[in-house]
Amino acid sequence: MGTTASQLGKDMLSEYQELTFLTKQEILLAHKRFTELLTKDEKDLPNNRVPMERILTLPELKSNPFRKRICNVFSTSEYKDGGLTFEDFLDLLSAFSDSATLEIKSHYAFRIFDFDDDGTLDCGDLEKLVNCLTGETDDTRLTPEEMRQLINNILEESDIDKDGTVNLSEFQHVISRSPDFVSSFKIVL
Amino acid sequence: MTSYSNGGLFNPAYHDSETLEIDRRSSSKTPLHTNPYARGEGADGHYSTGQISSDDALRRVPRGGWQEESWRGRESLPMGHISTRPRSPSWQHDNHSTFQIPPDSQYDRSLSIRLPSTTSGNMTMRRRGISMRRMSMFPNGDPNHVAFTEDAIRNEMENEEQNLVKELVALSTRDRIWAIRDLPMSFDEKKHIRSQVLAFKSAKKSRQFTCFADCSENMSLSFRRCGYGIRSARQTLELWQGIMKEIGGTFGTSVLSYFMFLKWLLMFNIFSFLVNFGFITIPQLVYRPWPNISPNVSFRGLEILTGAGYFNNTVMYYGGYSNETKVHLVEYNMQLAYFFTIAVYMVLCGIALIFSMASSFKTNYVLADPASNSAWQLLCSWDFNITNDKAVRQRKNNLRVQLKESMSENAQRERLSLSESLKHFGVYLGAWLLSTSLAVGSGASIYYLCQFEQQRATDSANWSLLQEAETLLVPFVVSLMNLVVPLFYSLFNKFEHYSSQRKQIYALVVRNVLLKMSILAVLCYNWMNVVAVKFSCWESMVGQALYRLVIVDFLFLMLGSFFGEFLSNVIGTRLIPRLGVPEFDVARNVLELIYAQTLAWIGIYFSPLLPAIQILKFFILFYLKKVSLTQNCQPPRRSGRAAQMQTIFIALLFFPFFVGAVSMVAFTAWSLTPSEHCGPFRGLNSTYNVVEVWMVHLKETSSSHWVVWIYQNVIRSEIFYFLISLIIIVIIYIFWQVTRGHKLRIRVLRQQIVDEGKDKSFLLERLQNLQKSHPDIRSKQKNPKKHSKRRPDDHSSGGQSTSNAIVQALLARQHFEKEEEERLSTGGVPVPSDISSISSALIQAMQARQRAEGQERNEHYSAGYYESPTNTSSAVTQAMQARQRAQVEGTDDASDPTSSVSSVMMQVMQARQRAEKDYRPQWVPAPPQNPAPAGSSALIQAMLARQQAQNEYDDGY
Repeated sequence: MGTTASQLGKDMLSEYQELTFLTKQEILLAHKRFTELLTKDEKDLPNNRVPMERILTLPELKSNPFRKRICNVFSTSEYKDGGLTFEDFLDLLSAFSDSATLEIKSHYAFRIFDFDDDGTLDCGDLEKLVNCLTGETDDTRLTPEEMRQLINNILEESDIDKDGTVNLSEFQHVISRSPDFVSSFKIVL
Repeated sequence: MTSYSNGGLFNPAYHDSETLEIDRRSSSKTPLHTNPYARGEGADGHYSTGQISSDDALRRVPRGGWQEESWRGRESLPMGHISTRPRSPSWQHDNHSTFQIPPDSQYDRSLSIRLPSTTSGNMTMRRRGISMRRMSMFPNGDPNHVAFTEDAIRNEMENEEQNLVKELVALSTRDRIWAIRDLPMSFDEKKHIRSQVLAFKSAKKSRQFTCFADCSENMSLSFRRCGYGIRSARQTLELWQGIMKEIGGTFGTSVLSYFMFLKWLLMFNIFSFLVNFGFITIPQLVYRPWPNISPNVSFRGLEILTGAGYFNNTVMYYGGYSNETKVHLVEYNMQLAYFFTIAVYMVLCGIALIFSMASSFKTNYVLADPASNSAWQLLCSWDFNITNDKAVRQRKNNLRVQLKESMSENAQRERLSLSESLKHFGVYLGAWLLSTSLAVGSGASIYYLCQFEQQRATDSANWSLLQEAETLLVPFVVSLMNLVVPLFYSLFNKFEHYSSQRKQIYALVVRNVLLKMSILAVLCYNWMNVVAVKFSCWESMVGQALYRLVIVDFLFLMLGSFFGEFLSNVIGTRLIPRLGVPEFDVARNVLELIYAQTLAWIGIYFSPLLPAIQILKFFILFYLKKVSLTQNCQPPRRSGRAAQMQTIFIALLFFPFFVGAVSMVAFTAWSLTPSEHCGPFRGLNSTYNVVEVWMVHLKETSSSHWVVWIYQNVIRSEIFYFLISLIIIVIIYIFWQVTRGHKLRIRVLRQQIVDEGKDKSFLLERLQNLQKSHPDIRSKQKNPKKHSKRRPDDHSSGGQSTSNAIVQALLARQHFEKEEEERLSTGGVPVPSDISSISSALIQAMQARQRAEGQERNEHYSAGYYESPTNTSSAVTQAMQARQRAQVEGTDDASDPTSSVSSVMMQVMQARQRAEKDYRPQWVPAPPQNPAPAGSSALIQAMLARQQAQNEYDDGY
């Protein structure tokens, strides 16, 4: 652990601690796991970006149905390829950590569910969400009729201003009524 | 870039809508990162850097796909990578290229969708103030402020960031760290904000430097470090982290909650063990290391099960403690220590329970709202903890089945005939009667069993082996009942048809609680009334009985997980595959834990070291359950609301179980006579007498009269308790009323949101109608992609097209600028095609504007509607000015094309605004010649102009 700490630098570490919800151990563990994802020659470069495919080999993300969305949301890559730097990775872990606030969690959850990145959950997003949750293959997918009914139900319940989409505040309203969200929106290394 | 969100500002319809505020907030919020550049380079900073990268831009411009992609990126990552790499030209360039016109996406990215952009989440209530300030800077429809350029917007953003930084600086260090941490931005932006705040702070401090401030800063820093240290140390010490993660990864949160509960109880017991051991047992051991065991009692092995015999006189039980005041180094009164340790422990337990229950209620308890079921199922039910591949698949399947079920349930619910509901009612009644009678029956049978046992038992120190083994009968039967009867309850549950799973679980829990309560009540009654009279050292006898119950209960828990889970696994997989692999029954298992903990609480008075046994028991149980779970069970089919269940379990643990245990101990301490010949309270009328004796002693000897005074005037006075309860009742009443007020307000606010939604849709519908009435707009509206995805009855498309137009106008303007720059950067040689495109675009824009003006005027005359002449005349003058400028431009070969183009565009926008404003009142009265086309046609023309410019530009390129 001493070696990892020196690798990361004390100042960096305290900065990371101050800007994320993670503890020192978690940051060090994250750093360890992240460097494991780097290839040999990448290790020497500062501030390098691990492509999404390699990030998704992490067992914590591997079978998550939203894995790609998670990478895309937290990636600051210019090419929108979902690659993560270490700081992006910390951001991800921070949002999914135990001590992150409901505000942060619901914000990122909303962005993860907002598949087309347009700022609201519309029918298309909800449909994709349902497909993600129930499986994408043809035999597991809901019938169009069921899908329509389901989406109508959701909109009826959560779309308070009746504009046909669920916006962030409506989403947060739903979230605030479901206390399980905080404990289930969690990824721990 | 989000600055486009401000397009909404030009659209009056949006001013009436709720989202507007959010939009503007978001737009103002996002660009925090843009600040460093803007500050250094002034408002036109990006022009200069634009030149540097213009070659690059030239290469990229024609590729619409890329452009759209980058645009998309800006939206999805509003504060994304446009970040703190200082003055990087690539950023500037990126920023620029977003202002290009993506040829394909110009219409399909509708502004109204983008408006409540993802960034609106940045706004917390805390920062609402900023947005309010900001809003006041842009009064609705004020023509002086309509002319927004990106520069203005950029400045605004800059201010915004300054405000945020100022606000953060004003906070205390701790709050600031939390506030920055809580910003939903990427790491880089947080870092940037933080550095800004720190810079601001240090600048301020250097002005008013004091030693004190420095010191306090250092202090708070070291405190913070210390806090981090404690946090990470706590995490290291966290028990069973890896196992918890594994369980959560395969079985999800609801099963995990059982293990969390188990761990929590274990911690509770460790605490109570430490308290008891430290304050009662250690002094006793120091004074008398070896218990006075009569020589003819030897350790036979059975004691481990029965707790009798050899253990009888050890510190394990009440009887092993003496009543002396020990004088070693300090005076230590054993009686007082025993009494106060137990009392304080009970009070602390109660407080801890109340607090955890209250906080759990606060965060977890949501009033059962059947309406929000499917939204919840979809939006919040995915358990990100789950990492196991198989578990993920299973969960998906379960969720699908659940969704289908809930939909078919919804469909079925209505048609339930009278006879069916009668039948259901009958089944409920039967099941309840049966289960209640089972509970009562088991209570009664235990009562008779206890009586039978008491008749046989003799009050002597050394029992024969058989006699000792006989004592195991009662705990055996009790535990057997606890194991078997709940199985019957589960069976009843299968025959009943509950409309929701929650009701089913509640019914099961209530029945089990009834059973356990009746059993414990009978046992307590027996101890208080029979054992207390019969035996000479009855507290130790009760302690032994509790010890046996705890041990046998543990054995049965092991058996239970063997039979309950292993056997049903074997049956489910080998014999009757229809049943399938069992699920882990969280409710039943938690109730078992609660029961075990209640035994420990009752026993704390009679056997102070019982928590040690309990610790051991829970520790082993954890591993046992974990193995049994992973070997035998499958993840739960239904994802229940785990947090809510946990709240209910903690509430159950408190009431009736903890309250019952406390009242039992309190009754013992106040009313029963302690045994004459053993234990710390020998010779007293009741345990509580020890306090009175102490008070008398204090009164005589010591100087601390205030203790006596407090005892006599506060503890023993009825008036005090009367007043206290009165005050509490008043407070409760007030809070109750406040809660009602809040509920009312919530309802009102909700209604307000709904109303505003209606207002918005109404206005947007209006706008849509206006645009529909003009044929041009329909031909121009090519946004099939977006529309196919949206609901057909979406009202926002109207607004979207108008605001789109504005965006396009802005884009066009940007485009001209860009071209201009490119032209300059290629060596200042004027490229003819570019010039022509610009001038033609200008002309188009002018024409558009003129036409708009003209139509407006025509409209006025034809409708015969009186309008304030100042508006029109000012519009006309503006038109004149604009035209003049355009002419100058046309002849002067664009010495300063940027400003002229943008000013023309501004004019167009103003014209549109005015048209909008003027004609609003006319919407209803003049349907055939709807005046709206005037306003929108200007826009359309602008768009046309832009298109043409684009075409020409492409050709030229």
